[in-house]
Amino acid sequence: MSILANRETRAVIIGGIAGLNAAKRMAQFDFLINRPLTVQAFVYPPEEGQQKEIYRGGELNNVTVYSSLEKALEENPQINTALIYIGASRAYQSAKEAIESKEIKLVSMITEGVPEKDAKRLRILALQHGKIFNGPSSIGIMSAGECRLGVIGGEYKNLKLCNLYRPGSFGVITKSGGLSNEAMWLCAQNGNGITSAVAIGGDSYPGTDFVTYLEMFENDPETKAVVIVGEVGGTLEEEAAEWYGKEIRRIKLVAAIGGTCQEVLPQGMKFGHAGAKEGKKGLGSARSKMNALREAGALVPDTFGGLSKAIKQVYQELLSTGVIKPEPELDEKLLPTLPPSVQEVMKQGDIIVEPLIRTTISDDRGEEPRYVGYAASELCEKGYGIEDVVALLWNKKLPSKEESEIIKRIIMISADHGPAVSGAFGSIIAACAGIDLPQAVSAGMTMIGPRFGGAVTNAGKYFKYGVKEYPNDIAGFLSWMKQNVGPVPGIGHRVKSLKNPDKRVKYLVEYVKNQTTLHTPCLDYALEVEKITTSKKDNLILNVDGTIGCILVDLDFPEYSLNGFFVLARTIGMIGHWIDQNNQNARLIRLYDYLINYAVKEERDVPEKK
Amino acid sequence: MAKILEGPAMKLFNKWGIPVPNYVVIMDPNRLEQLGEANKWLRESKLVVKAHEAIGGRFKLGLVKLGLNLEGALEAAKEMIGREIGTSTVRQVIVAEMLDHDEEYYISIAGNRDGAELLLSTKGGIDIEDNWDTVKRLFIPLDENPTIERITEAALEAGFIGEIAERVAKIASRLILCFDDEDAQSIEINPLVIRKSDMRFAALDAVMNVDWDARFRHADWDFKPVSEIGRPYTEAEQQIMDIDARIKGSVKLVEVPGGDIALLTAGGGASVFYSDAVVARGGSIANYAEYSGDPPDWAVEALTETICRLPKIRHIIVGGAIANFTDVKATFSGIINGFRESKSKGYLENVTIWVRRGGPNENQGLAAIKKLQEEGFDIHVYDRSMPMTDIVDMALNS
Repeated sequence: MSILANRETRAVIIGGIAGLNAAKRMAQFDFLINRPLTVQAFVYPPEEGQQKEIYRGGELNNVTVYSSLEKALEENPQINTALIYIGASRAYQSAKEAIESKEIKLVSMITEGVPEKDAKRLRILALQHGKIFNGPSSIGIMSAGECRLGVIGGEYKNLKLCNLYRPGSFGVITKSGGLSNEAMWLCAQNGNGITSAVAIGGDSYPGTDFVTYLEMFENDPETKAVVIVGEVGGTLEEEAAEWYGKEIRRIKLVAAIGGTCQEVLPQGMKFGHAGAKEGKKGLGSARSKMNALREAGALVPDTFGGLSKAIKQVYQELLSTGVIKPEPELDEKLLPTLPPSVQEVMKQGDIIVEPLIRTTISDDRGEEPRYVGYAASELCEKGYGIEDVVALLWNKKLPSKEESEIIKRIIMISADHGPAVSGAFGSIIAACAGIDLPQAVSAGMTMIGPRFGGAVTNAGKYFKYGVKEYPNDIAGFLSWMKQNVGPVPGIGHRVKSLKNPDKRVKYLVEYVKNQTTLHTPCLDYALEVEKITTSKKDNLILNVDGTIGCILVDLDFPEYSLNGFFVLARTIGMIGHWIDQNNQNARLIRLYDYLINYAVKEERDVPEKK
Repeated sequence: MAKILEGPAMKLFNKWGIPVPNYVVIMDPNRLEQLGEANKWLRESKLVVKAHEAIGGRFKLGLVKLGLNLEGALEAAKEMIGREIGTSTVRQVIVAEMLDHDEEYYISIAGNRDGAELLLSTKGGIDIEDNWDTVKRLFIPLDENPTIERITEAALEAGFIGEIAERVAKIASRLILCFDDEDAQSIEINPLVIRKSDMRFAALDAVMNVDWDARFRHADWDFKPVSEIGRPYTEAEQQIMDIDARIKGSVKLVEVPGGDIALLTAGGGASVFYSDAVVARGGSIANYAEYSGDPPDWAVEALTETICRLPKIRHIIVGGAIANFTDVKATFSGIINGFRESKSKGYLENVTIWVRRGGPNENQGLAAIKKLQEEGFDIHVYDRSMPMTDIVDMALNS
């Protein structure tokens, strides 16, 4: 048996992330003792409608987040308990609603730093409604083998070590949350474990008191003894002593009281929980509490360490008088083990997982990103530039000084080509429509294709093919192209011609051929091709796409990567255009009618729909 | 529990219509001259000058001077400001009108579980301690304001008579309002004085505690609470408080000069039991410390280093219960780093470290700290099977 929480307990958690973490811990306990999920709903308005994933062992449950307690209870009438995990400024209102809800019998609050007045009001409200308000600052309530409310009991391993999977004979009531766990352990180590454990919180005015729970334990036939852990401040321990001494009680009482050190500390020096403060004339001092409890017949060791012996003594007495019947110890190996996460199993090396993707270029799992093994900061320190990073990430090689200079120049001369071209114009139209930077740049980017800027890859690819298959046979290459591809990519320009050459092409060719030692078979081949094509038609020159494509092939970039240079370079320009239009506060534009030939049908009537 | 200084308390009294003497709080004594030109009462009344700091026994320390004129007050202020008392310095003084009065009364209010209790006595001032049985007590249920008739009745029962009873009741009703609306925990006015010639009342001295947890609903609280430990905070304590304010979870430190057992303990409950165990076994603690709520490891590291620097310590008790959710491995890694760092700076000579702890990742945490033995630390490590405070017994018996 148990008090407060049992197998019928169904809870709603009011609060955000802390509440979710508690729900996960609670589900571990549910798994351990094989009971249905305790947490049935969350109330947290900012996350209304979301589903939270809660694992009960390996079983995945989705628990709904509601915007109000009312809605949560409407859809989950089985809920009878509320756990308050929300911040101190909203805790009062949440707890009040819960206490006033017909279905809810028990409200436990973990929130710390709740104003005293709020806590006092909640206590009185709960009394008026005949409910239990536990907390504030309560770590929770544990009923062994039945129900866990809150993170009380700690990690899964500890639940087993403290025998919490089956009821024992000891009740536990503490002010401190950490010591509730310790006390449960002591009851398992020196006795047969607990029936229930309650942390009432260390605030000045907790919603409940020792006496309330002592009465409950006295009425719970399975509980044979109770361990209370109290401390200096308030009179709850004195009240417990009075209750215990008033008549013959069935339960044995063991108590530890903290705060005797204050007798010897400099006057006024106080510490510990909020409620740990002595009143006038020694009222509420640890010593007065210890004396009162001893006089009432409780076993009170002088240090916490002495609690082990005291519990053992009571347990032996209860065994020898036959109040507790010894039960065979359960083999812990029979208890379920918590299914580990994939990460945990992988750490042990007990599982093989086929990766979903593979990467060969970069890794940011360490302190900083590494590109093909090189630390980014070290590249910076040693004078490498963006062009070297491009070469590393696109081709996994650090280029020579000369090579990287060529890459840099290719990017520089390709960065923009004015507002009129498809890419820039696309970005500008989007910018004028008030579209944000990434989307507006993508609008320009979508223009890159077979007719605009997309010829670099194909130019590189086919000239490379020519070098390989038709060396010294330009005519053969051209006729193959004519048959299999069509016009040669990288050859021809709408406005430029032999007489009006493209300055960028001249510049690039001149730079690569005369100022570097780069071996340029592909570029040389393309220039030979140009000699033939221009002899046929004046504007069939090697254009900038073709030039860049060939040089990049000569730089050993994979041919399918070549369009990347145009995309990268133009991104710079398109971002520039977007910023420019925003700076100018550009307005929405539309085409003038006179720029459109409306080659449409004359106005006519819509026929009736058949 | 947050005690506030007289200045802010007087401000709150003013707000709720509780009569206070004229007063000013100053940091620069010279400011008093200018204020004297502006305020007639400073020139014409007798004045009292008090150090406006959380220092106990101010009167004996000469930090309260009575019956001064403006010149005398200026001198007293100059003398007090900058004075060092123990670890603290007087930075402010409060200069108040010393009301000539005929009688001194006592009036206070303090919260309890079910509401609050109002205390009234005609025998205020230093006499109150000897006349505690004359005090009339009136219970005020939570969220209920007693009628003025009911308070007047109580005042009459306390021995106030006629118009004075009515006036005291009115002041008490305002005190109740102030107590309730300002989330106060206790307010003690002693003495409340009366000058019968013009029936003027004033709260000459007051101690007020407010609920610091309620500050989120008091936009006009422009003060900070004074030290909760009966003296100003030391530099180390202040540093740990600054860290505490920034982190999830908490770290706390109180220095206790003269002790030789240092505490590096976890949990609000367990930490007190460790202090108790030291005292019960006849030892003396060098500090109180506590970390809880799964604080980040760097915060625990800072706390550790601060504790290692405490003078003349012989033992450090790294104690704690079986944590519910504080990660033992993570917090211990902070402690281990703190110990290493301190040792490299020459601390921890002849210091023995005693460890007992349980909780999430306890095996890894305990194994890691045990490894310090290999680095020459005198450290003894125990797990959950060791009764919690028994490491204190072992330390003191060693």
